[in-house]
Amino acid sequence: MAESNELAILEDYLLAEDAPLLEEMAEEDEEIDLYNEMTFGLDRDSMEEEVAKAPAPPDKGPELSLVSKNEAAVVAAVAVEDEDEYKVTEQPGLGAEEEQPMLEEMEEAGEEGEAEPGARHDDFADMEEEIGIDEHEEEEEEEEEEEEQHDEDNEEQNDLGDPAVMRAVHSKPTLESLDSAVLDSRIGSTWGEFEGDDLMAADSCAWTSSPSSILSRHMLEDKAILQALDRGPPMSHMNLDFLVSPAQRGYLGSPGLKRPDFRMMSPKSFPQRFMRQQSPMMPRSMASSRPYTPPRRASPLFTPNQSSGYVSPTPFRPMSRNISTPMQPLAMHFGPMSPSLEPPLFFSPPAGCQLKFSVPSHMTQLHPQHQRILNQRQQRGQAQSISPKKAWSLKADPYSGLMTRKEKDWVIKVQMIQLQSENPHLDDYYYQAYYHRLERKQAEEELLGGRNKQEPPKLVTPYIQKMEIYDSVVRIAGSLGQVAVSTCYSPRRAIDAVHHALQEEAAGNQRLRALHRIEKMFLQLLEVEETQRKMSLLPEEQHPRFHEKKSHEVGRIYQALKIRACDSEEEAEDEFLQVLCVRKGKKLTARLLPHLAREQAEKILVTVTRHLPFLMRKDVLDESLPVLYGPLSEMVGRMTFSELIEVLQELTRPLAGSTELPLTMTFKNQFGISLLYALLSHGERLLSSDMPLEPHSGDFEKWTDTVFLVARELSQVPKTALVEPLFLPSNLLSLFCRYLDKQTIHHLEAKMECSPLPSEAAMPC
Amino acid sequence: MNYMPGTASLIQDIDKKHLVLLRDGRTLIGYLRSIDQFANLVLHQTVERIHVGKKYGDIPRGIFVVRGENVVLLGEIDLEKESDTPLQQVSIEEILEEQRVEQQAKQESEKLKVQALKERGLSIPRADTLDEY
Repeated sequence: MAESNELAILEDYLLAEDAPLLEEMAEEDEEIDLYNEMTFGLDRDSMEEEVAKAPAPPDKGPELSLVSKNEAAVVAAVAVEDEDEYKVTEQPGLGAEEEQPMLEEMEEAGEEGEAEPGARHDDFADMEEEIGIDEHEEEEEEEEEEEEQHDEDNEEQNDLGDPAVMRAVHSKPTLESLDSAVLDSRIGSTWGEFEGDDLMAADSCAWTSSPSSILSRHMLEDKAILQALDRGPPMSHMNLDFLVSPAQRGYLGSPGLKRPDFRMMSPKSFPQRFMRQQSPMMPRSMASSRPYTPPRRASPLFTPNQSSGYVSPTPFRPMSRNISTPMQPLAMHFGPMSPSLEPPLFFSPPAGCQLKFSVPSHMTQLHPQHQRILNQRQQRGQAQSISPKKAWSLKADPYSGLMTRKEKDWVIKVQMIQLQSENPHLDDYYYQAYYHRLERKQAEEELLGGRNKQEPPKLVTPYIQKMEIYDSVVRIAGSLGQVAVSTCYSPRRAIDAVHHALQEEAAGNQRLRALHRIEKMFLQLLEVEETQRKMSLLPEEQHPRFHEKKSHEVGRIYQALKIRACDSEEEAEDEFLQVLCVRKGKKLTARLLPHLAREQAEKILVTVTRHLPFLMRKDVLDESLPVLYGPLSEMVGRMTFSELIEVLQELTRPLAGSTELPLTMTFKNQFGISLLYALLSHGERLLSSDMPLEPHSGDFEKWTDTVFLVARELSQVPKTALVEPLFLPSNLLSLFCRYLDKQTIHHLEAKMECSPLPSEAAMPC
Repeated sequence: MNYMPGTASLIQDIDKKHLVLLRDGRTLIGYLRSIDQFANLVLHQTVERIHVGKKYGDIPRGIFVVRGENVVLLGEIDLEKESDTPLQQVSIEEILEEQRVEQQAKQESEKLKVQALKERGLSIPRADTLDEY
């Protein structure tokens, strides 16, 4: 006892010495927090801390000392909701000198408790009554145990009103029992006792699961107590617990005691205390109840009164609950979708923090490979955590935790801000492209292996919606004062620096001009695609606006293509055909087709078909016509019968100045033959379906003629000259069956089916 | 934790023993205590390790605050494998002497090279003058 008294006094002394310094630190903390809030806005986290800041420890030093002397003052001063809890936990050590009476009282309370099982939460109840806490709001969050206790509180409060009276009734009034300091001393004084021992205690608790083993060593050698301890922390013997040790009490009552303190604490101090409080096995969980515990950021080792008890918040405490605690994703306030920080999150043990870093939340996920590495590391870490050697080596590091939770979060936040993007397809193109490829691969694997579907992990960069920036005033970087709008938008031309040469050059060369046009159209097309992508992200009601914008732009591109009918003599001059002669022009057309209106797309198809011989001739080197096949065949699939006939006519019309039919030429070109097959297949599908065809006069005759013509030409073409199509429709043979005799069909079948073979055989060579 | 590939992963490395190679070629070994978004580092219980051939020596340096731009390389040291190295630890004096000898030899060869080039009418800018720009 004497020892503990001494220690408590020493502690007080040290703290008094520290006071100005601590005040400074607290101010600094507030400044930092202010800065953080300005940088990141007020999230819920900091809001809570704001509240917590109100009763900042340093300011209330004098107030508290008052409080400890006069109970009435306590009630008056601390009646403010919420804040009081904080103070409760701040006070205790003040009454350290009064340990002796307290013990007496405790014994009494213990006896009473036996008689009256309901009084098991004596100590808590007393404490909170005394200060007149009204914390109904808290109740929901508290654990069941806590709740019961509060129920008791409330009852008693209702009955008696005066906390002092309540306490008097509850436990027989002793000399000191009317002084709140007595109660406080229960924590403070026993705590003081612990100061001396806790280095040992902390060490031993690292490998002892039961606090009783420590306690039995350090605490009273009372048989009854030991018995109680051996029985673990039974609820009905709770009243004995405070007799035993603050540690034990802390262990049992920790949720109730710790939480308010924790919440009310000033922001900077919290992570550290938090860490200290987190291991329920540790006697130091009571650390927070020491008097005037200031907000501390740096390693506690630097202050003498803390040094001994500090135990590093390593995850490697073999018996601690930490490892088995289900990992909760750490709440991080970030971006528009920031998850609310649930109070239980605060209670996640520090051990979890390190492990939890690799737990992806819904906000952000890692690059898959990165994730894998992390997982491996994490597993390794867990495996190591069991090894006692490692546990020791890490536990012995008293300097860890220099960077608090909050600071780590801050760093991560800052780094996340750099990843914010309005348009990830533009800013983060390679990742997006990579991810699409990954998705495709996954889909293929699923098709093949029939594996259960699993979403590949995706890095979701925080998406920020650009705010509507209203700039009434034009600002020019580096300008002094305000710039007149007129000069800004129509500045006087100081020198004539417009480059004319480019246009002249382009005019000189047809091909260059075509390339120039393609470039311009491509830029427009990219905008169209961008609009399309945005549309898919936006809610339905905003679509019309975007649709209008898109169709306007598509219309402009279509106009720029300058599609018009032309003769075969003019082919080389035609601007659209010039575009189609360039690979990029073909790509452009292919990408534009899905956006075009039906008539526009059909116009393109007709034009392409009409000039197919020309295009095929120009495409010999490039072989890029197939890029058009996809969108065109889709287009073909939507055509009516008459439109189809119209297109087919283009192929069967003999070319001017040549005996060869365009049809025969198509057989030698992959794109040509594919398109022809697509057209025929669609015709067959239309005929075999029940849909009304609405044919124009003579359409059926033209169709029959075409089919005969194709069959004839096809059978005449030598097999080797026939190119393998991009896609061979399955209904072509049934089409021919309709019109042709069996022998020809067999002939055609052999030719069409076998045509891939030569090219395949040629491949390996 | 929202935790991205990139510097943020250093968060996970906090309070672990790290080897940091600086731009000036120095090698520091210490416990990583704090980082920020620029990879500025705070190293604790730092030693500067000098390697010469198969020998190495540690000079205790204390706390190091390293500006991020000076970090060339940084990696965690496996505490369990730390001791099984083929290298031989020697005293500070010895390693400093070794280093001095090595640097002298290097300078000598450099001088010879410059000399030889000079005789052939060539000159190469010296590495230290390059740094000036």
